[in-house]
Amino acid sequence: MLLITRRAGERIMVGDDVIVHIKEIVGNTVRVGIEAPRSTPIYREEIWEAVREENRAAAEAPFSLPAPTTTV
Amino acid sequence: MSTLTIDSSRFGALEVASEDVIEFPNGLIGLGGRRYAIVHAEGAFSWLHSLDDPSLALPVTNPWEFFADYSVEVSDEDSAPISADPADVAVWVTVRAGAELSDFYANLRAPILVADGQGHQIINESADAPVRAPLFPAVAAAA
Repeated sequence: MLLITRRAGERIMVGDDVIVHIKEIVGNTVRVGIEAPRSTPIYREEIWEAVREENRAAAEAPFSLPAPTTTV
Repeated sequence: MSTLTIDSSRFGALEVASEDVIEFPNGLIGLGGRRYAIVHAEGAFSWLHSLDDPSLALPVTNPWEFFADYSVEVSDEDSAPISADPADVAVWVTVRAGAELSDFYANLRAPILVADGQGHQIINESADAPVRAPLFPAVAAAA
């Protein structure tokens, strides 16, 4: 992993077309702005992880679903 | 009209009309895959089936069948690739299916939006959109 020290107001380039802006640092919180091509999705890591886990669990569904005879 | 046939490990041979193919430019979150189709509707559930991996299929449902108040709020970044009128966008949510109905959950946080043959799994910014919402809360409460 590459470790880079930056101050508020500075930026990091990831390749030629992703720019990470260090906007503000307050206590142990950092506000980060990310400029990336529209085709590059950006996620908070914990949400990405939760959705990945849910997608994987969905893909492991039982072979046949029980018929929902008692609907809401 | 051309069709393509996949040898689904779940359903056997499946024919998918070319106009029913859904291209996912970014795949499903954490799962990838570029081409899927909605197949094999069974009651409230259908399956989002990969056309490239015959063993990959996720049960999905129309969220409003179960959550009448469900809403989807999309960030500007997420909506950028979707040019269709919101009324023309089909919304699906993935289903985590257990052995019993009390173990069925829908992912309201990451719905799949389909329009013009393209699919995007996006993050729903709505406050009331859990990753794992019980689909049959009455059954779960009685269990």
